[in-house]
Amino acid sequence: MSLRLRLLLMIGVSLILLWSAVAIWMLHELRGEMRLTLDQRLVMSARMVGELMSQNPAAWDGQRAKVGALALSLPPAQKGLACEIRSLRGEVLARTPSALPEAAEAPAPGFAEREIKGERWRTYTYEAHGLRITTADRMAERNTLLRDVMVAAAVPFVVALIGGLIVLWLGVRSGLAPVERLRRALASRAPDALTPIHALPMPRELQPLVATLNQLLERMSAIIGRERRFTSDAAHELRTPLTAIKTHLQVARITRGKDAEIALDYAEEGAARLQHTLAQLLTLSQVEGPFSWDDGHAAHAEEIARLAMRDAAHDAPGRIVFDRDGDSAELVLPQALAVTALRNLLDNALRHSPVESAVTLELRCSNDAACFRVRDRGPGLSAADLALVTNRFWRRGSGRGSGLGLSIVRAITERFGGSFELAQRPEGGLEAKLMLPRAKRA
Amino acid sequence: MRVLLVEDDELIAHGIMAGLRARGLTVDGVATAAQAEAALSGVSCDVVILDLGLPDEDGMSLLRRLRSDGMALPVLVLTARDAIEDRVAGLRAGADDYLLKPFDLNELVARLHALLRRAAGRSVDVIEHGPLRLNPESGEVFLHGQPLVLSRRESALLAALLHACGRILSADQLKDSLYDFNEEIESNAINVHIHHLRRKLGAGIIETVRGVGYRIGTAGA
Repeated sequence: MSLRLRLLLMIGVSLILLWSAVAIWMLHELRGEMRLTLDQRLVMSARMVGELMSQNPAAWDGQRAKVGALALSLPPAQKGLACEIRSLRGEVLARTPSALPEAAEAPAPGFAEREIKGERWRTYTYEAHGLRITTADRMAERNTLLRDVMVAAAVPFVVALIGGLIVLWLGVRSGLAPVERLRRALASRAPDALTPIHALPMPRELQPLVATLNQLLERMSAIIGRERRFTSDAAHELRTPLTAIKTHLQVARITRGKDAEIALDYAEEGAARLQHTLAQLLTLSQVEGPFSWDDGHAAHAEEIARLAMRDAAHDAPGRIVFDRDGDSAELVLPQALAVTALRNLLDNALRHSPVESAVTLELRCSNDAACFRVRDRGPGLSAADLALVTNRFWRRGSGRGSGLGLSIVRAITERFGGSFELAQRPEGGLEAKLMLPRAKRA
Repeated sequence: MRVLLVEDDELIAHGIMAGLRARGLTVDGVATAAQAEAALSGVSCDVVILDLGLPDEDGMSLLRRLRSDGMALPVLVLTARDAIEDRVAGLRAGADDYLLKPFDLNELVARLHALLRRAAGRSVDVIEHGPLRLNPESGEVFLHGQPLVLSRRESALLAALLHACGRILSADQLKDSLYDFNEEIESNAINVHIHHLRRKLGAGIIETVRGVGYRIGTAGA
């Protein structure tokens, strides 16, 4: 149900109920008052007639001997009050002509409702000064009067109620107009639009909502942009070796002899590159993902250094010089990851320094961390490149490698609370410093 | 047809060059934007294959600059990025065609021939010249409907002369379209190929314009 309909129903229904209750109450009171007033009129009239008769007993004494009721000329009253004067014995002394048809017997004193010749009357009988005076109203007239008064009271009431409902509808509509505008603005957007919502004048209550929505959109757009870039980069990195493999395989098919063999060698080199890139991508996504890494191997700093050196120096045995102090430490992160991080640093150092030059790996353990430093004698990196170096798929020029090595190192240190820095050495070359936290001793 | 390949990935460049050479094309490979510019100003080639991810400059901006300098050669862009924006940007920057890595070597060759054909203003892939018919892509030559056996160089030479549509080509221009700049060329190599063509297609097929060069003559004479 829409907010507008709910508001309208809630306020409208309560308004109608409240006003109706008030109206019923009021009309009920009014009706009672009217009856009372009309009855009082009967009483007053009867008394007045009694008083008038008592002031002039001669008039009716004389009359009584002679003619009858018709001689006393009470004004004719087709509508309204009727009046009849009888003696206590029951003789009719006077009456309004044809107004109150003659009843057989004289009524008892007080109020009564009687049916006389098919018409209902409300009568009041009053005895005084030896006379019995009856005043009467037609019930039909009383009821008509009552209805007229009720209608006169009810019509403005109903008009006010309808007017109130219309004003309510207009008010709710204009009050909710900003919400409706916002709804339209949102509905008219493309489902994948990530541009902020703006240019709508919004009431204070909606401003935080729109602001939050815009912030969310902005964040999402940044995240989606980054992911899209990553996917595009990853596709590029995977397609490049794949292209090499495919092209060389096709060349191998259309050439013969030595050319075909060379092409197959190249295809194999492409496959190795593809494998390396895939492995690095998987490692990165695992380190960045929510997976548990506990491989059950306690990671000792010195063992990590030895394993990483063995892996890295595969093609260049003896190029890495290991320098350590006596202490070794157990580290907080899984062995496989620690080795991966350190091996990536050693790989880079070996790849980017002259073939005959040595690469130093220094290990120092402090109370809460193990510090690995890898130093090379390569050309180093400019300050601008140092800022970019951990970006995914960044590599200098058309350098070999997946461009993911340092991204992986950074992801590992971020996940396990270590740190990683690269710095230009004053004497030339690059120093990579990898700090990995020690496990808490039990 | 002489192709300039601008591709920084050594492995891919090797593959494309080997593949195109095996299909009878002459290919020069360069790895950077700077080398590409130097090569384009130095030798005459017919079509350029351009990889967008170059180490020294984005391929797209290189292409834009070359086009604004008036380079009119057909350019086929190679890239591993398949977003539509990338493709549209490539075509806007002045590429004539677009191929996504990894591609099929046959498709690459077919597209190169199609580019060359369009650049020459032809709409069918067979060049007809009197009773002579040449399919540049397959290298097949027919005279009066009979297939002729020509060597790769001979059919390339014939294609170059036919592409020129009667313009005179110098010996150096013919050499450029037959040999890439790593190949050793004997001084009379072009003369030998012309001699063979005349023997197979009739003496009038290639006219010698003394002191200037050669142009296509009439076949079967």
